[in-house]
Amino acid sequence: SGELYCSLPNPRNVRFESVNMKNVLHWSAPEGTGDGVFYKVKYAVYGVGKWIRKPECKNINRTWCDLSNETSDYEEQYYASVKAFLNGACSDWMETTRFNPLTDTKIDPPMVSVSSTDRSISIVLTAPEKWKRSPEEESISLLQVYPGLQYNVSVLNKKTKKRWFFSISNNTLVVPWLEPGTAYCVSAQIHVPTPVLDSGYSK
Amino acid sequence: GACRVSMSMTEIRAGFTAIKANIQSRDPIRTLSILSHPHSLHKVKSSDRCCITYQLFTFYVDKVFKHCRTEDSFVNRKISSIANSFLSTRRKLGQCHEQNNCMCGEESTEKLKQILANYEGLNVTSAAMKSLGELDILLDWMEKSR
Repeated sequence: SGELYCSLPNPRNVRFESVNMKNVLHWSAPEGTGDGVFYKVKYAVYGVGKWIRKPECKNINRTWCDLSNETSDYEEQYYASVKAFLNGACSDWMETTRFNPLTDTKIDPPMVSVSSTDRSISIVLTAPEKWKRSPEEESISLLQVYPGLQYNVSVLNKKTKKRWFFSISNNTLVVPWLEPGTAYCVSAQIHVPTPVLDSGYSK
Repeated sequence: GACRVSMSMTEIRAGFTAIKANIQSRDPIRTLSILSHPHSLHKVKSSDRCCITYQLFTFYVDKVFKHCRTEDSFVNRKISSIANSFLSTRRKLGQCHEQNNCMCGEESTEKLKQILANYEGLNVTSAAMKSLGELDILLDWMEKSR
């Protein structure tokens, strides 16, 4: 069947938003359309000749669609596309740019656990896990995905406001020669040198 | 074979990231890839990595960069900077190749043939621009297998 003549304004700003490779397609409603707009979503593996419809995102009125499952192979790259419908009219298919899960994801800060003696602090850092389909599925640490992953650690003496920075590849750090009875604030960030990816600092 | 070559991946990555959206937007063909289909680089045997890397650097130096001029001087500067990095790395890899430390197995020779067939299936400019837009596929594979 031929495509309908599509006069509806297009969905806007169609893009992937990805955190720890949880890859969610987002878009904005077509300009000037209020309620009542519905959407369809399809995606394609770059280099493979077919678009695949996403049934769970057919005739939806929300403006996002979780494609994590369909884009979980980070050795592939992807496109996704959205079409809008309103009162029998439709828009064109509007596509994302090419999405590379490996380079286009954001990374959460590491988990930081701290223990101390009277003159030192021991810090253990844990990189976040890659998104997974279900809790039962085997966990993959982002450390496995990015072998060059490093940690930037900041230690702040809350009394003197003096701050130290450390950059480490393994996940443990002991900071010696500290002042007894003093509060220190530890914060850490993940840094992937190439492809360049930096998380925020942990709280 | 054993072949250790130093190159600035960070510099090449940064150069490519700066022009990725521009270059990829010039490639309208979603259904064909030069590097990743039907054979994926990620299935290359470790013994063939040096040879595949050398052959792909040769492919980019000889067949891609020279056909990728754009009307945008910023993009052109980035392309030539990446090309220069590839040229110097290819020279180092060439020394390994000459010392027989970088030989291709049958499977990899087949994969390289497929890549060239994908390339020759398009007109030169489209093929070169598509190949340049797939540079991150090559860099991802190289970094993963370091």
